[in-house]
Amino acid sequence: MSPLTLYQLVALILLLAGLFGITQRKTLVGMLICVELMLNGAGLSIVAAAQLTPANAMLGQLGTLFVMGLAAAEATLVLAIIVVIARRFGSTKTSVVSTLKG
Amino acid sequence: MEEMAKVAFGLYTLIILGGSLLAVGAKSLVRAMVGLIATLLGVAGMYMLLNSTFMALMQILIYVGAVCVLIFFAIMLTKADPEGEEAASAPIYQNVLALLAVLVTGGVLSWLVLTRPLATTGVPVEVSIEKLGLGLLGPYGLAFELISVVLLVSMAGAVLLAWERRNGK
Repeated sequence: MSPLTLYQLVALILLLAGLFGITQRKTLVGMLICVELMLNGAGLSIVAAAQLTPANAMLGQLGTLFVMGLAAAEATLVLAIIVVIARRFGSTKTSVVSTLKG
Repeated sequence: MEEMAKVAFGLYTLIILGGSLLAVGAKSLVRAMVGLIATLLGVAGMYMLLNSTFMALMQILIYVGAVCVLIFFAIMLTKADPEGEEAASAPIYQNVLALLAVLVTGGVLSWLVLTRPLATTGVPVEVSIEKLGLGLLGPYGLAFELISVVLLVSMAGAVLLAWERRNGK
């Protein structure tokens, strides 16, 4: 197995852990943690593919930097949404937050 | 050196595996966060192995330093259950669906990765920080400006969402 395949398999593990968590977690914060796991897997896969193949390495690293920036923006917004939901429903469990118009 | 790299790769893989298991399976959200931080540090080690030191530093700075602190704030600002937020076991069908999603996605993607090996260079190439900076200011300047706009908009949106209006005004 080439090193690239090994790195891709580790990234795949991160993706699958995040996917399992996001379907199985019961609170919004837990789902946010799983989204971060999946984004990390994407970043690792991009950097590995850029560094270990003849492709443009600079483009890969900058792309992963952009993924990190988007993850930070997403975490900020989700934090605000979670605060609003916690204020309105008193809980962030997905089973409680089930009305469309409150 | 070759053996050292293999040992380090195995160590980081173990850290990532254990951390992500904790992040997905822990009953308390704070423990899940500790697992997430371990995973992020493991991925930073992977970046080091891939000869991209700058990415490893940025991983620690942005993810562990900023995103994890944000999620800790999210945990703090919501009401915590004394016996763990995720203590109640999920219904059976939810677990079955989660396992199904993981198995199907993992099967397809690992089949693709394992059967279509790419031509690889043996040693990861090194990109200097100067080159990265010049790339951000030169050919990828538009993306750089756009990401700052996205960050600004998300910050303004977060402030707007969490703004508490005083009663009667």
